[in-house]
Amino acid sequence: MSVIIERSSAWFERYMVPPLGALASSVYLQAVRDAFIIFTLPLILAGSLFLIVANPPIKALADLLAPYQQAILVPFNLSFGLMALFLAFGVAYSLAQYRRTEPVQPGVLAMVVFLVASMPVTDLNNLSLGEVLPYLGGQGLLVGILVGILTTEVMRFFRGSRFTIRLPKSVPPNVTRAFEALVPAVLLIALVWSIEWFVSSHTFVGTDGKIHQLTLPILLMRAFQPLVFVQDSYPAALLEIVLMMLLWSVGIHGMNVVTAIALPFWLSTLTANATSGGHGIVTEPFFHIFAHLGGSGATWPLVIYMLRSRSAQLRTVGKVALGPAIFNINEPVTFGVPMALNPLMMVPFVLVPMVIVTINYFVFAVGLVHVPVVMQPFTVPVGISGFVASGGDIKASLLQFFDLGVSALIYYPFFKAWERVLVEREEAASQAEEKQARPLAAVR
Amino acid sequence: MIRVLIVCSWGMSTSLLVESMLEEAGKEGIELSIEALSAGEYAGRVEDCDVVLIAPQIRHLRKSIEKLAASEHKPVALIEPFHYATMNGRAVLEQVLRLLADAREGKSEA
Repeated sequence: MSVIIERSSAWFERYMVPPLGALASSVYLQAVRDAFIIFTLPLILAGSLFLIVANPPIKALADLLAPYQQAILVPFNLSFGLMALFLAFGVAYSLAQYRRTEPVQPGVLAMVVFLVASMPVTDLNNLSLGEVLPYLGGQGLLVGILVGILTTEVMRFFRGSRFTIRLPKSVPPNVTRAFEALVPAVLLIALVWSIEWFVSSHTFVGTDGKIHQLTLPILLMRAFQPLVFVQDSYPAALLEIVLMMLLWSVGIHGMNVVTAIALPFWLSTLTANATSGGHGIVTEPFFHIFAHLGGSGATWPLVIYMLRSRSAQLRTVGKVALGPAIFNINEPVTFGVPMALNPLMMVPFVLVPMVIVTINYFVFAVGLVHVPVVMQPFTVPVGISGFVASGGDIKASLLQFFDLGVSALIYYPFFKAWERVLVEREEAASQAEEKQARPLAAVR
Repeated sequence: MIRVLIVCSWGMSTSLLVESMLEEAGKEGIELSIEALSAGEYAGRVEDCDVVLIAPQIRHLRKSIEKLAASEHKPVALIEPFHYATMNGRAVLEQVLRLLADAREGKSEA
């Protein structure tokens, strides 16, 4: 058994790690992911608090607050609602960090370029904020990411090129930098503005029956509408969870990588759920809150098993893993059992989340449990997190506990088999130690 | 004062390891400062540290991190996954001391 495990783990190290590693190290994906974590997530979480207050789970309270709902939603609309604007800043900023250039200038310029790209070219006095707001938030994320990447790359191209305005060495560096940014800034703004002008000379009939000017985000959302639709489906959910767990199986942060790719879709679906009563299922909480119970791979039950294990290694890991598991952190499990690069444990590590995602998808699809509407930090403990994510549906917490039961059942036989392997190894090691210890004792 | 830079993913689990390392250093009377940064942020901080450690969940970035550390002549190593998992601050601290000793003798870490 031990030999087979060692051989196949060498095979994984050789053939599985490089391609998955290459995907995970794409600098654009890393920049999008960092931008999301550092710049947009805090705004989303802060905004969500106001969303919860505006839509309390108790009916009497909801009726009481109804007249003030729009007022309570103002902070929500100006934080959560503007996330694409700040994502544009964040992507440009993070990408500049990876490119090792000054990050704030491209960040600020990206916000300007993003705004130019999102507003129809028209008399701004006649434009209502409510009309453009959706495209500065959930519906503008793709534009935000593209603008962020474009801005940093264009500025990088111009920095040090012969089109840059050069000043004598005696000029302070801050002044030099401002002039360096001038050429790319004017070019980028003019470019995006002229494209936007062309696009917004076209019109379309909105869902309200009125004629609206077309803008870049609207055009892009229409082009990607089929993809958003496809992404919110069972096969897509399954594909995403398999990719996440395959990455984790070779020890790479899977949620991180998949988040960077799927985020615009998850967030636009979640925004539709939160603001216009949508029924989208495949969102960020669908994975973080409802699938990764106790950490990626739903490893909560394993921690309990380990606490009473016959293997000293597993008992040690179990003790360390218990605290973090409460907050859905499971690196101790992933690298301590280990799950990563362990051909035996990789099977349930991928299988358990697949089964859970399947169960949850259909439970949400038939409407047994309210779909996710609220995003929260992934560290909120299981039970509480389901209740909050569903906007106050206690059945969502029950679903989490049901999923944990399923996870416990599937993991058990694999855990027992791995425990046997470890106990054998530990016994062999302690026998070898005894043999070595004897001559030493004789010397004394 | 030993300054350690840990390159990690989101920093959630690394913070637990950092705490344990600081505690162990305190027991041994070693002055230690640790900075845990993501793969996007660490680059500018390499020159201000003595040792670079890589968390196991981003070992696919190992080559690029090693290259950067080498260009600044800083010793660099991957944290042993099992020590990371069990938040074994003592073992990782030993690794840091070993790396520094090797660097002083002019040996390069294999």
